[in-house]
Amino acid sequence: MKLKEINRTAIQCWSPAQHHPIYLATGTSAQQLDASFSTNASLEFFELDLANPSLDMKSCGNYSSTHRYHKLVWGPYGMDDQGHPSGVLIAGGENGNVILYDPAKIMAGESDVIIAESDRHTGPVRALDINPFQPNLVASGGNESEIFIWDMNNFGSPMTPGPKTQPVEDISCVAWNRQVQHILASANPSGRASVWDLRKNDLIIKVSDHSNRMHCSGLAWNPEVATQLVLASEDDRLPVIQMWDLRFATSPLKILENHTRGVLSIAWSVADPELLLSCGKDSRILCWNPNTSEVLYELPTSSQWCFDIQWCPRNPAVLSAASFDGHIDIYSIMGGSDRAQNQRNADQISTSFGNMDPFGTGQTLPPLQLPQTTVPPASVNPLKKPPKWIRRPVGATFAFGGKMVTIENGKPNPQQPQQPTHHVVHISQVVTETAFLKRSDELQATLTAGTFVDFCQGKISAAENEFEKTLWSFLKANFESDIRIKFLELLGYNKEELALKVKQDDDEEEDLLASDPEEDVACLFSKTMKLVIFLPDVDGLITQALLTGDFDGAVDLCLHDNRMADSIILAIAGGAELLEKTQKKYFAKTHSKITKLISAVVMKDWHHILKTCNLQNWKEALAAVMTYAQPEEFSSLCDLLGARLETAEGADLQAQACLCYICAGNVEKLVACWMKGQERHCPLSLQDLVEKVVVLRRAVEQTQHSSSTTVGVLLAEKMSQYANLLASQGSLSTAITYLPDNTNQVGSTAVIKNLFSSYITVLYINDLVALIHMNKGAIVTENKRPNPQVNQYPAGAGVQCPTSPATSVPLSPVDLCSPAQPGFLSPYTQPVSIFYHRQSSFSHALSSTPPTLNPYFPNASSCSSALSAPLSPGASFQHGGPGSPVSYMPLFPLSGISGTLHDRDTDPTPASQRTGLHENYTPPAPITAPIMAPLGADPQAQSVPCGAPQGMGHGLHNAQIPYSGMQQQQQQQQQQQQQQQQVTSPVTLNPGLPKSNTEGAPGAPTGDIVQVQQEYLAMPAEKIMKKPIPDEHMVLKTTFEGLIQKCLAVATDPQTKRKLDDANKRLEALYDKLREQTLSPAIVGGLHNIARTIESQSYTEGLNIHTHIVSNSNFSETSAFMPVLKVVLTQANKLKV
Amino acid sequence: MVSVINTVDTSHEDMIHCAQMDYYGTRLATCSSDRTVKIFDVRNGGQILVADLRGHEGPVWQVAWAHPMFGNILASCSYDRKVIIWKEENGVWDKMYEYTGHESSVNSVCWGPYDFGLILACGSSDGAISLLTFTGDQQWDVKKINNAHTIGCNAVSWAPAVLPGSLIDQPTSQKPNYVKRFVSGGCDNLVKLWKEEDGQWKEDQKLEAHSDWVRDVGWAPSIGLPTSTIASCSQDGRVFIWTCDDPSGNTWTTKLLHKFNDVVWHVSWSITGNILAVSGGDNKVTLWKESMDGQWACISDVSKGQGGVGSVADSQQNEQ
Repeated sequence: MKLKEINRTAIQCWSPAQHHPIYLATGTSAQQLDASFSTNASLEFFELDLANPSLDMKSCGNYSSTHRYHKLVWGPYGMDDQGHPSGVLIAGGENGNVILYDPAKIMAGESDVIIAESDRHTGPVRALDINPFQPNLVASGGNESEIFIWDMNNFGSPMTPGPKTQPVEDISCVAWNRQVQHILASANPSGRASVWDLRKNDLIIKVSDHSNRMHCSGLAWNPEVATQLVLASEDDRLPVIQMWDLRFATSPLKILENHTRGVLSIAWSVADPELLLSCGKDSRILCWNPNTSEVLYELPTSSQWCFDIQWCPRNPAVLSAASFDGHIDIYSIMGGSDRAQNQRNADQISTSFGNMDPFGTGQTLPPLQLPQTTVPPASVNPLKKPPKWIRRPVGATFAFGGKMVTIENGKPNPQQPQQPTHHVVHISQVVTETAFLKRSDELQATLTAGTFVDFCQGKISAAENEFEKTLWSFLKANFESDIRIKFLELLGYNKEELALKVKQDDDEEEDLLASDPEEDVACLFSKTMKLVIFLPDVDGLITQALLTGDFDGAVDLCLHDNRMADSIILAIAGGAELLEKTQKKYFAKTHSKITKLISAVVMKDWHHILKTCNLQNWKEALAAVMTYAQPEEFSSLCDLLGARLETAEGADLQAQACLCYICAGNVEKLVACWMKGQERHCPLSLQDLVEKVVVLRRAVEQTQHSSSTTVGVLLAEKMSQYANLLASQGSLSTAITYLPDNTNQVGSTAVIKNLFSSYITVLYINDLVALIHMNKGAIVTENKRPNPQVNQYPAGAGVQCPTSPATSVPLSPVDLCSPAQPGFLSPYTQPVSIFYHRQSSFSHALSSTPPTLNPYFPNASSCSSALSAPLSPGASFQHGGPGSPVSYMPLFPLSGISGTLHDRDTDPTPASQRTGLHENYTPPAPITAPIMAPLGADPQAQSVPCGAPQGMGHGLHNAQIPYSGMQQQQQQQQQQQQQQQQVTSPVTLNPGLPKSNTEGAPGAPTGDIVQVQQEYLAMPAEKIMKKPIPDEHMVLKTTFEGLIQKCLAVATDPQTKRKLDDANKRLEALYDKLREQTLSPAIVGGLHNIARTIESQSYTEGLNIHTHIVSNSNFSETSAFMPVLKVVLTQANKLKV
Repeated sequence: MVSVINTVDTSHEDMIHCAQMDYYGTRLATCSSDRTVKIFDVRNGGQILVADLRGHEGPVWQVAWAHPMFGNILASCSYDRKVIIWKEENGVWDKMYEYTGHESSVNSVCWGPYDFGLILACGSSDGAISLLTFTGDQQWDVKKINNAHTIGCNAVSWAPAVLPGSLIDQPTSQKPNYVKRFVSGGCDNLVKLWKEEDGQWKEDQKLEAHSDWVRDVGWAPSIGLPTSTIASCSQDGRVFIWTCDDPSGNTWTTKLLHKFNDVVWHVSWSITGNILAVSGGDNKVTLWKESMDGQWACISDVSKGQGGVGSVADSQQNEQ
């Protein structure tokens, strides 16, 4: 197909292959005159701009010459060293001159464009060729057998290839061998070709077929086979191309016959040696395969002769042909129609009118439609043989699971072309993250063996910084006995040391009632008030009051006189009410540094402490919580502190939040916190995170004796990232174990889908969606619970808020201020009202999560655990939920705190602000600062929190007050007893908690159940009117029902059987839809595919198709049956039927 | 690093041009200059010939698997100017559709993301790109971009289905309004981006950097970032990575991955989009990965799929 045209009567030559962009140089031909009879000569440069659809070529330079030309060649000489950035154009003139032009200068419009010039030749220089190996060498041929070899480095003194051939003849062509650089061929019109060896400086062979009619117009060497050359004959009586092999130079190897008149020019493609162009006086341009003598292609041309034809050296599909009618045409050998070109012509004509508005109609003219030529735009057949340059020989392509497919095409053996070559495909496993995989394997091994302590220990010793070490120490503590004591030790509070110090204090103050644990509080108070000024007057008054039984008055007097101890002791005697009052007054009055601590201990208001304490003292605060906090609130308190630390200024504090979350067992928050420190996603840092998360989750599971914990959005995201990474490295089976199978987020699937659009994730998301659609059908029933149809929430229970249209999952509104508001999920969530006052403090943490996040969708197993032992943290919305390991209430001496406070006095240096989160981290050291902010700094801190949830009296006799643990060994048994008690205690501590999960979900969306029942009720009625299932879909019913029957036959467990029976009934919904033919073709197609997989018993594939259908279909369309189908497939897979 | 786990002797009688695994990596489709397309079951290291598809009358350049949700569908394109879509029905592969709308060799076929339905882009040496959309009932809708690349389009590759401008879900329950985009490379040395607007395909961007034919283009799978990434390779030996952070998709920046000494035929992104396999004319495959500082580094160097050189990557990991 014609690409471009230039209206010039000229000879032509392409810029060298190295040159970009591609130019075509034209020079006024010496042997032609056009109708103007002008003898002016010029050199012109045109750029081949294929991006421009126009047929015109942009002229880039023009040089008016005094010579007209017989031959132009353009070589890359000087391009490398920038001496001639566009190489050198060599012209053969009519007066025996060889001229070297600098095309760059011509195109730049400069004047000194001639590099060198010589007129050694005696006649016109018709033949020129540049050595393909040494671009500084150019051969030229003139009259009288003159051949010169010019060295452009030393242009003045050309060499000759040898003695002149006799008889003396014109030289019409010269050509350098394409394989051997010192071999040159020349040809003369008489038809003889001579081959010269420049090393021998002599003629080495003459090629002639003894037929005098051979009139040689073209000569070309085979680009690949060194000994082969072709000669073209201009003689009309012998319009052939002869192919010679010098190994047998007595007659032509082949004769290419197709032209009907003499051949004027030939060109052999360097890009594909099986393509040889020729043009002749029969006005045809043919493309041959010289090896087979076959004409592969005939270019559609104008009716004029072409006298010169050339391949574009850079663009192998492009060729140029110069014709006598004053055109140079640029063609593509790749075919294609002229239709576009015709359109271009029309456009050209249209635009020549400027598309203006000649008639003033206010409308631009439509594009001009050229009348269709009578000849239909002959669709030109492309080359019969695909050119070599489009035959892609290689190609490595990635596939699922880190696999790579590579092609290997064996090279044909030129010696034995008959021997078949091997064409094979290699499938390789690509592993780029070896270190990552190694660590992943280690983690897997740990998980399997359960050797977490060793794993953590290994991590501790391998830790690169102190922060890592501490993190792992905390994680390790989770797997040891007495978790909280271990935590305390890690925070720098060694129980025994402290006990020792307390003892010393006790010795000093023998009069105090320290021996009785129940009097610890009083003891502590006494210690803080060592000197009380005794005033006799007041004494009398107090005595009076006491004698009259006026405890109130006596206490008032004591307080007034700053006799705190007296007042408290009196208050104890005066009853609980008075004691409480007295305590409040006391705290209102006292302003010592530790008052707040004491206040907190007595009043049990740890939230207040944690909310107001100086964050520099987080360690002390955490230690206090560990010692005193109720088991059920321990986790949330740790969370609270963690949340404060996270928002604190200073990277070191923020990092400490991780420790709090580890103590709390809050996996989700740990993930969030950890991620802050990680700038960029990289496999190893992900591995770092996953290791911690997995270990912590396992710890939480162990301590809570529950089988699984729920997975939050962030964790799910990270886990699927991790799974992706594993999958991409080929660890598919491991990857699957990390895919969260249950999660509390749903509607953001599209977000995640966007985030990780890889296969695994898509599968995972679809699984997830399917899971939610069927309301955990499989799992729920496994847990012996009724199976409410949650996929059809009544309006009001769950607000329809489908963030992902593809999945359309109903969501309940997320109210940031009351995140625990459970919506329709209330049966599964913990009663949270008792923690309500705290939730506002979490809103800041929550607000950082996207508002599209969804409420808590626990899976059944986690529900059951949560209900039997109300301990399910992990959901990011359940900060208020209880969750600490209840069985590990450490027994710790209260006086330990005050003991360490002495140390604090000796080292008043506050912890300095540190920078560099991980590197500069220092492990927890003994107390360095007061636990509480100095009073007065925060006015609120002084106020006694009112509405403390529990009375003092209760507190005094509760486990809240630690025992002095001096003889730990002796107390061990006692401790264990206590632990056992506490395991059961939380249930009774929180009267609002459901005691058991077995009766199903109290307060479950009753509307759903009603709806389901209605559906069931409605069924028989429908059946009466049922149409038959279309025949083509009958197979679906038979397959699915058959599968269920097969499963039923194998299933032993009554639970499974019930499930399958149920599924069988519920699939009616599908059959109904099939009857009504309301399903979209995509879904039906998918169902058929599933049916097919069932036939072949590849249920996993069926499940995959299932997930694809679910994720790509309208929720309402498929919700009635797809979840059921999934149950069936899953069961079938499980039962291996 | 790169270890051959299965070598399939295809028994093709001429050069293989393309080999593609299906979605799940269970089947391998190959096509060859011997005019055939073959499908092998390669599960568990096997290599069972499942189908030998004959129908093309010239070398078959590329094959492409459709997403499995549409069934088992394979597209092939050939020098014979035809695109054939094959479908397996009841275990038998047959022609589903034959497209003959091109006037020259069809060099590349690529299925769009499944979110768009069954849509195939075809790039041809006639310079046009065709878009075939399955409309049901054996009907295919054809749209053609004429003169997309003068003297030929060599490669097409779809952009992942990403909602315009945002990662946040649209609050409607309607089908999301995806913007369909793909990239093409051609003999005009250009990389072009195309976008569907109001049912019409329009040239969206023209990326210029190559100085010779663009042999292949690959739009990287989305990794969740709002960045679009495209790799292009050329006859000029250069591989460029084009990125666009701009949500409107107008500002593309380019980075030279490497200049090879030989033509680069093929680029392929890993499924997770972080590794690029580059196949050169010397049948050498190199794997590239972007480092933390945004530089592309060669992490492996494989010759003819045989084994691999792990030293590059290993040393890198040691540095980490």
